[in-house]
Amino acid sequence: MLLEYAQLSLRAFACIFTPRKGPGGWMLSWKVTALFAQMVRIGVASLPTVALANFLLGVVLAIQGAGQFDKLGATDMVADLVAFSVLREIGPLITAVIVIGRSGSSITAELGTMAVSEEIDALNVMGIDPVRYLVVPRLLAMILMMPVLTVLGEGIGLFSGWVIGVASLHLDPVYYVQRSIDAVEQKDLYSGLLKALVFGAIVGTVGCFYGITVKGGAEGVGKATTKSVVTSLTSMLAMDAILTALIYFS
Amino acid sequence: MSEAPSNKHKSPYAVEARGVTQSFDGKRKVLSNVSFKVKHGEILIIMGGSGCGKSTLLKVLIGLLKPTEGEVFIDGTEITKLNDRELSSVRKRFGMLFQYSALFNSLTLGENVALPILESSDVSPSIAELMARLKLEMVGMNGFEHLKPAEISGGMKKRVGMARGLALDPDLLFCDEPTSGLDPVTTATIDKLTLDLTRMLGISAVVVTHDMTSAFRIGTQMIYLSDGKVLVSGTPEEVKQNPNPNLQQFINGHADGPIPFKLSKDDWLNSLKKQT
Repeated sequence: MLLEYAQLSLRAFACIFTPRKGPGGWMLSWKVTALFAQMVRIGVASLPTVALANFLLGVVLAIQGAGQFDKLGATDMVADLVAFSVLREIGPLITAVIVIGRSGSSITAELGTMAVSEEIDALNVMGIDPVRYLVVPRLLAMILMMPVLTVLGEGIGLFSGWVIGVASLHLDPVYYVQRSIDAVEQKDLYSGLLKALVFGAIVGTVGCFYGITVKGGAEGVGKATTKSVVTSLTSMLAMDAILTALIYFS
Repeated sequence: MSEAPSNKHKSPYAVEARGVTQSFDGKRKVLSNVSFKVKHGEILIIMGGSGCGKSTLLKVLIGLLKPTEGEVFIDGTEITKLNDRELSSVRKRFGMLFQYSALFNSLTLGENVALPILESSDVSPSIAELMARLKLEMVGMNGFEHLKPAEISGGMKKRVGMARGLALDPDLLFCDEPTSGLDPVTTATIDKLTLDLTRMLGISAVVVTHDMTSAFRIGTQMIYLSDGKVLVSGTPEEVKQNPNPNLQQFINGHADGPIPFKLSKDDWLNSLKKQT
């Protein structure tokens, strides 16, 4: 199973960078229009949910932080807490969770349904590589859109923290922003983006792998979708722990 | 029919299977030493009851499964030892009509037929669309190109599946249960279409079916599979005259005969043991 997953992932990454010789000369092995279609499905369509989740978590973080910092008489430290939590962890993590639930599962269910209705066999018979035609646009869209969604989500999370800080804790709006900027380093933003890239690769490869290897009809599609979500979530959390350790202890 | 290859073909046979054996998990033998030859222009019917290995044989013939033993030649090219890229180029020489049509639900009918054209050549989308319209017209589906597969009937899907199979002007067409689940009139229409297209385009066909009316209407050669082995082969007339009781029960659709209606509990358990 792990070997098959590794083979499919390597083939997909190789396809992204390897041109193919078409009748008119060398060309990209995948279609840009298919990539854009997947970017809209995976990225643009996920934006409202990602925005809402990040907004609510920013609010919760600010309220929870305020309750604790108030005891120390340091309510203004809410800005620090929200800033580094959102950039380092909450933003990339909650965005990935939403994308796994929304788009990762949808990729597995879609490819799985195609597999059980012989559509993937049909591609093979027509001499069209399913990895190139189906997996690459989805994987690439996931890798490209996850950081974009993460940045947008982080911005919204920071904004919601600011709203609570200013409206509920009566902090000065400019002072809150200044404290937030002082609390974080560039490394915090880059580490969040790096995590988003890796999460995108994990969700894309896992979602496509479970989808394209579905067997056993509708029941198989259901099982594969569950496995895809669970595997993506656990792999993503494990990778988060590894990357956090590598970035902050190195 | 001459046995010498024409200028267009490398071999006198469009398809040739030599001793094809297919086992799963090293034990479950689904096909056993299956051999046959299909000359160019012929329509071979592969028939047999459910679970006799018809679909597995078809998957071996189109290169979706590598046989455990044996060889498969498509117009003289042995396909079981080819790598993915070489197999892809051989596959462009044949078309396939799937049992449930296998049309892409996210694409319109026109896009479905245009897909193999666009993916295998550098023609512009407008030319591919025009070619797809011509193929749809050949199967009597002109004017339907903007509909999605979910918006048409099963019989129409089969026709579009056939148009897609013919998109690259293949020399050979594989059909998996082309008439299953269709009413008698639509079945006759699909049969007529298969006959007309193979005659008109001079292509060969391998049709897997257990619809006897359809099989005798279009077949020029037949093989009857039972338990993964070729039990009977010949022309439709020879097959009809063959006294094999298993075959006769199958052709005439009798409930009583050597083909068991149901297995005893012990037989069932033994068959499971054999398979694992």
